[in-house]
Amino acid sequence: MRVVLAEDLYLLREGLKQLLSAHGFSVVAAVDNGPDLLRALLDERPDVAVVDVRLPPTQTDEGLQAALAARRELPGLPVLVLSQHVERLYARELLADGTGGVGYLLKDRVFNAEQFVDAVRRVAAGGTAMDPDVIAKLFARSDQKVGRLTPREREVLELMAEGRSNGAIGQRLFLSESAVGKHTASIFGKLGLAASDDDNRRVLAVLAFLDGR
Amino acid sequence: MTRGLGALARGLLRGFYAVASAGLLVVHLVLFVPGLGLGLIFLLPWPIVQLRPVTNLVRRSCGDVPRPYRDRPGPPRPEADGRYRYDRMLYHSPFWPRQVGYLNWVLGDPATWRDVGWMLLNPVVGVVLGAGPAALVIAGLTVAFATGYWIAVGLALIALGVVVAPAALRAHDSWTRRMLGPRDEVGSLKAWLGLRFMTLVRLAALGGLTVVTAGLAVLSAAALALFAVGVVGTIPENAALTRRVTEIRRRLAEQWSGVSIQTPYRPEPPLPPRRPDGLYAVGDNLYKSTGWTRFFQRLEWIWHDPATWRDLLWTVTDPFVGGALVLMSAGAVGYGFLGVALPALLRLTRVDDPPALLVLADRPTLALAAGVVLVVAGALAAPAALRWHGRWTAVLLAPTAKARLSTRVEQLTESRADATSAQAAELRRIERDLHDGAQGRLVAVGLALGAIEALIETDPAAARRLVADARESTARALAELRDLVRGVRPPVLAERGLVEAVRALALDSPVPATVAGGLAGRVPEPVESAVYFAVSEALVNAAKHAAASTVEIAFAHHDGVLTAVVEDDGRGGADPAVGSGLRGMRHRLSAFDGTVRVVSPAGGPTTVTLEVPCALFSPKTSTSSARDSSNS
Repeated sequence: MRVVLAEDLYLLREGLKQLLSAHGFSVVAAVDNGPDLLRALLDERPDVAVVDVRLPPTQTDEGLQAALAARRELPGLPVLVLSQHVERLYARELLADGTGGVGYLLKDRVFNAEQFVDAVRRVAAGGTAMDPDVIAKLFARSDQKVGRLTPREREVLELMAEGRSNGAIGQRLFLSESAVGKHTASIFGKLGLAASDDDNRRVLAVLAFLDGR
Repeated sequence: MTRGLGALARGLLRGFYAVASAGLLVVHLVLFVPGLGLGLIFLLPWPIVQLRPVTNLVRRSCGDVPRPYRDRPGPPRPEADGRYRYDRMLYHSPFWPRQVGYLNWVLGDPATWRDVGWMLLNPVVGVVLGAGPAALVIAGLTVAFATGYWIAVGLALIALGVVVAPAALRAHDSWTRRMLGPRDEVGSLKAWLGLRFMTLVRLAALGGLTVVTAGLAVLSAAALALFAVGVVGTIPENAALTRRVTEIRRRLAEQWSGVSIQTPYRPEPPLPPRRPDGLYAVGDNLYKSTGWTRFFQRLEWIWHDPATWRDLLWTVTDPFVGGALVLMSAGAVGYGFLGVALPALLRLTRVDDPPALLVLADRPTLALAAGVVLVVAGALAAPAALRWHGRWTAVLLAPTAKARLSTRVEQLTESRADATSAQAAELRRIERDLHDGAQGRLVAVGLALGAIEALIETDPAAARRLVADARESTARALAELRDLVRGVRPPVLAERGLVEAVRALALDSPVPATVAGGLAGRVPEPVESAVYFAVSEALVNAAKHAAASTVEIAFAHHDGVLTAVVEDDGRGGADPAVGSGLRGMRHRLSAFDGTVRVVSPAGGPTTVTLEVPCALFSPKTSTSSARDSSNS
């Protein structure tokens, strides 16, 4: 699987390169600034891009902007954004086009190589990978509708919002897949959303619901 | 026939109103003249408001004419610091804001001046149109019965009266509606005349205040004389009184003449620190009690403030200079009308013994012309006179360049002290957080790695546990560093600027918050941070204390001032004197000459307005070039 990597810290860039290579990815370009990233994305058209939000030359959200610009050119280009901090604002911008294939994780998540690589694969496959921190912030806002969920349903909703499939959720919570299916149906019912099998649409629905009040 | 008779009766009532309105006019004049002429401007609104029920009665009986008055302003509400704001001035008691607001409400209402116009004209129009038909009928009756010969003429007059009555009544009522009803807009000529009239009224009022100033000059002379014989207490008291009067004149110069005058006084110094021997030093003298120390310090403060002596000089000269300006225009109009034109007119209409203010007493035609010229010239000169009056006030009552500089230096010293102590506190907090948090955790990671090195061969299971612990520690350390960075300068603020950062804040706020308005460029970094944290504080307050259900945040940048308004619909009652958050906000912004205004009446809503003077600059261009290249 071909990866374009953008990270301005040399050590972290090399580390990520090794980590991804070790898991069978081929890093076709590793850049350290926004303009180079955009060029690499448009030239290489990788299977997935792993991008730091803050990049030179402005040291602002150059990486995010380059990724969004590339996705406007190449709709659905899978992008996993890494950051030292997570903002719902950015999560929303990434999800806004509704085509999926996006991820937004804290940089610390690379500590757990398995989970990180799993997230890269999910994004490359057109799924989503939202950081648990983003999800936690979404739930931090007290909401009547979310308040009606049972604790187990909340757990399911959190994992669902991170972008996991029913199977993965079942594994994490030690439930059968059909039990997870029942929970999701009940969650959609309580939140007033039409049920859908599509992983990506489920996250969009959850985010849209939690944002749009 | 019955309609005609009914109209006659109602017409008579209108006639009665006409007589009453003449009475009202007299009452008005009796209170108006001292109110205007002697500068007792606070006498002015009272009779007008008291007499409004009468005009309202007329409105009701003349076909339910709607009332045109503006709503009365509510009582002044204290700001968060307990002072009352009116225009650009803060007062300690609600008295002045209420008085001035009341005055502006009454005199600024066009309906007031229409009421006065109605009182002036109605004695004629009301009598003719209202009581006219009835008078015709009475005349007819008199002719028919008293003389006996002119029955036909009498009957004709009666019939005419009855027939005309409804039309006259209609005409009267429509006239009243026009005079007393609400009106959309004033004609340009009328507006022009109204403006002249207001200018003249203001000038006359200033003339009246000049009399007060003359009185003050006499008082000051007396106070100085007493001081000379050893009664030292008179000087501070007299200066305080003078300051109160000149402060009013400064406000009036700004409101009426458009000349903005800053307060020139030095701030009152704090009590000096007690010396080691327990005494207080003021100048070269030592005092034991705080009372005497404060008194002599106050004396010293007032005596050495140049503004005190400029005030004094002004009280002596204003009766001449200001008085001359008033006489030049308002005086010319008054004398031209009452002194020259009116007596001449009366003489021409053959009234005996007109008042003898007339210079050209023996040549009425020439006098009338001179009077008209005086009135016109005075009215034309009035705006210039008012403007010059303001400038003259500024000559002595505005702070000198030196005073302005020293005030500014004092402000800056204060805000620098605030800023540096806030900065020091912030650094202390960061140092402590790093020491207690991330540093400690990294030491723990190092220890764990050492232990792992030792255990990795002998006890791999324990080593693996330690690895997991070490990873947990680094994650914690990162989370703590993240929080620390967020507290110093939130990343989204650095990346996106103020408005977007606040938008991100609003997304995370437990109370639904919306952000309106945008800024055309980036705010300088330090200001950006200060405003961000202040807004953040206000948002937290709205969620925590106000029990609000929605918050609205608006940004604007006008005339070099950045404004952020945070308004919630909560229960209000926020008091900066109690909460440290609002005070912290004020300290944060004062470093940039910024201000925080909190309006939070009990029962809500709470509005926090932040204002910081600053320039916007265009955002860094490379971000937009990245955006542009995507379109190419």
